[in-house]
Amino acid sequence: MTQGSTATATGAAMRLGPQPGEVIDRNRTIEFRWNGRAYQAHPGDTIISALAAAGERVFSRSYKYHRPRGLLTADFLDPGCQLQVGDEPNVRAAHRLVEAGMDVRSQNTWPSLKFDVKAVNGLAGRFLATGFYYKTFIKPERLWPAYERVLRKFVHAGEVSPDTEHGYYDKRYAHPDVLVTGGGPAGMAAAVAAARAGARVLLVEEEHHLGGHLRWGDDTARAVRAELAEQVRSEPGIEVLTDSVVVGRYDDNWIGVMQRNLPHVVERLVKVRAKSLVVAPGLVERPYVFTGNDLPGVMLSTAARRLINLYAVKPGERAVVLSANPEGDAAVADLQRAGVEIAAVADARRGQRVVRARGRGGVQSVELADGSRIDCDLLVTAVGWTAPTSLLNMAGARPVYRPEVARFVPDPAHTPDGVLAVGGIAGDGTLDQLREHADAVGREAARRAAQLAHRLHGALPTRPRDAAPQPAPVTDPVPIPELPLAEHPELFFSTHGFVDFSEDVSSKDLVTAVKEGYDSVELVKRYTTATMGPAQGKLETVNTVAIVAAATGRSIAETGTTTWRPMYAPVTLGALAGRSFEPIRHSPMQPWHERHGATPLVAGQWIRPEHYGDPAAEVRTVRSGVGIIDVTPIGKLDLRGPDVAKLLNLLYVNKWSKLDIGRVRYGVMCADDGVVLDDGVTGRLGDDHYLMSTTSSGAATVWEWVENWLQTEHPDWQVHVTPVTTAYASINVAGPRSRELLGRLTEGVDLRPEAFGYMNVRTGTVAGVQDCVLWRIGFTGELSYEIHLPASYGLHVWERLIETGADLGVVPFGVEAQRILRLEKGHFIVGQDTDGLTQGYTAGLGSLIKLDKADFVGKPELAWQAERGGYPQLVGLLPVDGDVVPPEASQIITGGGHIAGRITSSRMSPTLGRAICLGQVDSGLAEAGTRVTVRLPDGRDVEAVITAHHAQVDPEGERQRV
Amino acid sequence: MMLLPCPWCGPRNASEFRYVGETGPRPDPTTATPEQWRRHLYFHANPRGWVRESWYHRAGCRRYFAAERHTATNEVRSSGGHS
Amino acid sequence: MSSSNNGTGNRNGSRNGHRPLRRGRRYSAWSLLQHGLSGADWPVTFRSHPKRDSYDVVIVGGGVHGLATAYYLAANHGIRNVAVLEKSYIGSGGSGRNTAILRSNYLTPEGVRFYDRSVKLYEHLAAELNFNVMFSQRGHLTLAHNDASLRTMRWRTEVNKLQGVDSEVIGPDEVKKLVPYLDTSSTTRYPVLGALYHPPGGIIRHDAVVWGYARGADAHGVHIHQKTEVVGIDVEGGRVTGVRTDDGHRIATPVVVNCTAGWSTLISDMAGVSMPVQTFPLQAAVTEPVKPFLDTVIVSGTLHVYVSQTDRGELVFGASVDPFASYSTRGSLEFAEGVAGHVLELMPALSKMRLLRQWAGLCDMTPDYSPIMGPTPVGGFYVDVGWGTYGFKAGPVSGEAMADCIANERPPEIISAFGLDRFEAGRLVGEKGAAAVGH
Repeated sequence: MTQGSTATATGAAMRLGPQPGEVIDRNRTIEFRWNGRAYQAHPGDTIISALAAAGERVFSRSYKYHRPRGLLTADFLDPGCQLQVGDEPNVRAAHRLVEAGMDVRSQNTWPSLKFDVKAVNGLAGRFLATGFYYKTFIKPERLWPAYERVLRKFVHAGEVSPDTEHGYYDKRYAHPDVLVTGGGPAGMAAAVAAARAGARVLLVEEEHHLGGHLRWGDDTARAVRAELAEQVRSEPGIEVLTDSVVVGRYDDNWIGVMQRNLPHVVERLVKVRAKSLVVAPGLVERPYVFTGNDLPGVMLSTAARRLINLYAVKPGERAVVLSANPEGDAAVADLQRAGVEIAAVADARRGQRVVRARGRGGVQSVELADGSRIDCDLLVTAVGWTAPTSLLNMAGARPVYRPEVARFVPDPAHTPDGVLAVGGIAGDGTLDQLREHADAVGREAARRAAQLAHRLHGALPTRPRDAAPQPAPVTDPVPIPELPLAEHPELFFSTHGFVDFSEDVSSKDLVTAVKEGYDSVELVKRYTTATMGPAQGKLETVNTVAIVAAATGRSIAETGTTTWRPMYAPVTLGALAGRSFEPIRHSPMQPWHERHGATPLVAGQWIRPEHYGDPAAEVRTVRSGVGIIDVTPIGKLDLRGPDVAKLLNLLYVNKWSKLDIGRVRYGVMCADDGVVLDDGVTGRLGDDHYLMSTTSSGAATVWEWVENWLQTEHPDWQVHVTPVTTAYASINVAGPRSRELLGRLTEGVDLRPEAFGYMNVRTGTVAGVQDCVLWRIGFTGELSYEIHLPASYGLHVWERLIETGADLGVVPFGVEAQRILRLEKGHFIVGQDTDGLTQGYTAGLGSLIKLDKADFVGKPELAWQAERGGYPQLVGLLPVDGDVVPPEASQIITGGGHIAGRITSSRMSPTLGRAICLGQVDSGLAEAGTRVTVRLPDGRDVEAVITAHHAQVDPEGERQRV
Repeated sequence: MMLLPCPWCGPRNASEFRYVGETGPRPDPTTATPEQWRRHLYFHANPRGWVRESWYHRAGCRRYFAAERHTATNEVRSSGGHS
Repeated sequence: MSSSNNGTGNRNGSRNGHRPLRRGRRYSAWSLLQHGLSGADWPVTFRSHPKRDSYDVVIVGGGVHGLATAYYLAANHGIRNVAVLEKSYIGSGGSGRNTAILRSNYLTPEGVRFYDRSVKLYEHLAAELNFNVMFSQRGHLTLAHNDASLRTMRWRTEVNKLQGVDSEVIGPDEVKKLVPYLDTSSTTRYPVLGALYHPPGGIIRHDAVVWGYARGADAHGVHIHQKTEVVGIDVEGGRVTGVRTDDGHRIATPVVVNCTAGWSTLISDMAGVSMPVQTFPLQAAVTEPVKPFLDTVIVSGTLHVYVSQTDRGELVFGASVDPFASYSTRGSLEFAEGVAGHVLELMPALSKMRLLRQWAGLCDMTPDYSPIMGPTPVGGFYVDVGWGTYGFKAGPVSGEAMADCIANERPPEIISAFGLDRFEAGRLVGEKGAAAVGH
């Protein structure tokens, strides 16, 4: 039927004259490309309606058998209408509107859609039976990878391009009283009723226009649509989102809505906390299972009616209609009006059935159960409906099967308070009955929302006690009329045909699976993959259940359905991700670091200078002159109150009761399992005022840890904790000439060693900045001062230190130099030299841990560890060949490859000119002088000797005390 | 996402909180046997049903508090006070 | 229980090489052709039986652990009077909800040895069970985005190599060659500094493993009772005497094995055995299919995400367990948002792919990220629980070891580190360091 040529854009062979409900703009024509050829469309056309108007009827090839597939539902769910649009795979082309210049291609066809080589699989269908994969390719084992490569070539989908950019996606929060999902007559009526009852309403419609099935209905239906749409439009309390879909309902009515039609935004995820959810998705028309039911030209009654009424497309020339309901009858009328010859109407209510459709590349004839055979190019079926109860299921509801109406219906007894159903999903009835029901439900949803708002407001403890209580909202439930359920014959299958069009699963496959013992619907689903494709069961589940029921001899109700899970409709990863907000933290000195060529290091959220070119030179300068390092990420907690000392005594393993004002002390925290948690120094600034430092990575953990012990174990202690990590910028000035440098900039602090000794703290003015805290401590092992100063002056003080120290040869040093310096000094790093099981004594804290304290966190386990002995130990190691630095994580082994420890830190020491290490070893190897074997990553073994101290440089600590 | 009733801030999204979990009283460190101590550290009732547990309102008032939650439905009822 | 079998068996798992599948029940290309031509029905894969009044062993939980235990009890030890009780359908729990990733690149020697045995059993499982489980050993990459994780990757690598497991640390260029879609530029928020590359790791068809074991166990005479929930365990004089089921049966048995995940506390409670377990949901999601472009499994511990592409073209995503304990499997929008954001950090070109479905399973987390296997203080009550997020990987070796443990009435060496008594004794296993996201 395809016509036209490559020279001119293909026209509109099947386009009808103007239709009263059409949504296309005939005044304008746009061009797009389909498999390389130019086609015309009107704005408002979907990709598929434009192609169908041009006479195309094959849009894809099926998964396993590469059978030609065309239109089935003519909406978002249409399994045969997933196309590649530009770099976007799997586009729902029966929903997506045509845009000028679109490049649309069929997926998974080679060499072309019309002639597909893999269609040969269709001939082999009897061998590609159920569970085919599980039964073959078992032997020889070595060939399976080759088989697998071939299988992967058959993947039935579009392609992603490595060049696709993460476009602009957006997110939004909304807090409506009532969220109505579905903008058909019931959804619109419920929204209007809720808004008139005072609720703020968000109305979400999956299609491009409000109206639901009224849009392709008769004059009366269209008039009602217009009336309801006008009511919605004029109600200020209603916000309408079209081309948007509720994708999931989560705990406490937390609801994801995907909005697809915003300009300049690819998709937007709206996260909604709704007080009431009104579920109004309508009904999904169910395909009929019979031989040949997947041929192009076999379509649902709703698909034919959409094509004619919305897009003015003639679905075929000569039709057979299988009708079991008024909608099917209406389709007959529409087809006649559109000039389609009705070859036969098979009335399923009178027992007539279609048993087979025949044709090559499309329907050419249809066989009825009475044996008659009718030539046609179109077969329209109207055999019943599926209630898309996904959102109700996600809310914990359990719909029940009612055979007399041939569908699952919600059970209000098992639906939570905040969720209500209206429209076709809830029942049938006349349009007036549906509107009346929806009106009552809308008012009830508003009432429940108001009640919940009142309850939540009452739960707000910050409300002033003397505030007048909010008047309770009206509490009488709105009486909701019963919706009748229209009787409908149970029509699922006549002969064997396709059940899942996306997955190429036939009813025969399902029956085979049952016979093989996969006799529950869940096992059948997993074994055959039926319902696991892009429509997620909305078209396929009930037919699957019906066929499994028939094959097992159980009823549909006994067989039950599979679980409906989010997403209700597929969502792009881009929309779920939104814009990328990955927080990073910089110190106030970052601009200086960047200007001076610092190599950045990612350390958790912090980006820090790793070095400024030559870390070894930085180390040498610190040992011989003076260097400064930005240590702002060090965690800092300001502790105030009369009970701080008690707190410190509880949290640190060492003693804190006698810390004088102006002194600082090093401490280690363990958890109650005795495992090392964090370390740092804490200084006493005043009577009831301390500043605690933590590791950079442990800052948040320690803060919560401190609060936990205070709030839950000792609420009577008076301690106030303020995290001040980023309130201060922190600079360590280290090296033999640090005092000299600092002396030039400091006021109000006597820096002489006798006045400001090692492990002391002073406050004063540095470079004109008041209220700086100076700690004389020595992570590097040199004379050094750690300055914590108001963060906004960080860059200023840093620059002043550099300028003022120019003649002293001051250099900035980075994290790498600091790591080397501390390793030379033998200081361990929590989380590197210790791990998730390293208890205090293993870390070499024997002299620090004070078991004579009445209690401290971790004490019992540490006491037992000491008693037990035999634990691994953190030790210093020197490789015998000082030129070999065993990489960190190299294993220490004994005979037979038994692991007896590992290197936890290692570097080439610029000070000593040799390799130095820390490591954990089994207790038997921990004695000084023991030679151990280290297995290098390249497989070589080297010897190392355990040293008496962790420190290899200045173990006595002379240099830091000067 | 469930709402948690912070006794200080009212009902808030669960993502604002850090889960602490079931907490029992810390045994007396001077008398506890290793077995008692480790049962405290490692063992949980872990019921499928109502459980009293601690939460920390990390992105809010930074208070620890206790709430009762049904572990199958995630329905929450405040039990008030400290954990 | 007694058996003459000792040791850890041959490379194919079942030691006696006994092939219980009779002619006509075996799957092969030939049988496929025959059935295709004749249209004859395939034999039943696993059968239903009436419940007996007593069994020698009752296994609670019809997932891969329970079914493998049953299979190896019968195949390796000749113990065939065995019932597997499953409250829903087989494979309905963790076995059908995991992301089907296999690997053995653990951190501790005991962990590595254990999972290496599991991978070896998986490698030959299709032949062993005559059921193609589609194990695709496509390689497994654990990305390191910072120094600390790179050091942990080296640690795992070095331990792996000493246990004979194929792992190595590779640089960003080699990573890029393996995964061209990965953004390995140094300017990203989470630069790829390197990766732990584990070539034997890969993915498998998880349901097929369940069905294969069920079919194998069935062929050996094991009874599989689906839709049968255990509601009570009878203990007399400190020993198990039987179980009660929701259909009113009381089954006498001297041995009950708790092979459940998500329910291990509840089942153990029935026998009066308390567990150091907390149950957390673990979520996963799958996209719509696209043409294959991702040939390895990718894991990022820092970003809490793992990704693989199935032979059907779908991307399967997983993350770490939910932030709070729960028995809910409803899943959350936060998970979907988080996993999508993290995947796009790694592979920005995937923004137009669509998430199709999300789900959750239940994970029983233990304090040391290692399982609890073996006897309990109640005689005849065994546990194979506490599998956290890594239970599926361990299915075959767990079944083999538990069968050995039951038949010989003592835990075999390979699971000796995983006893329930280790918690009160303070002998925790050191996997916690590497297992924040261990897939």
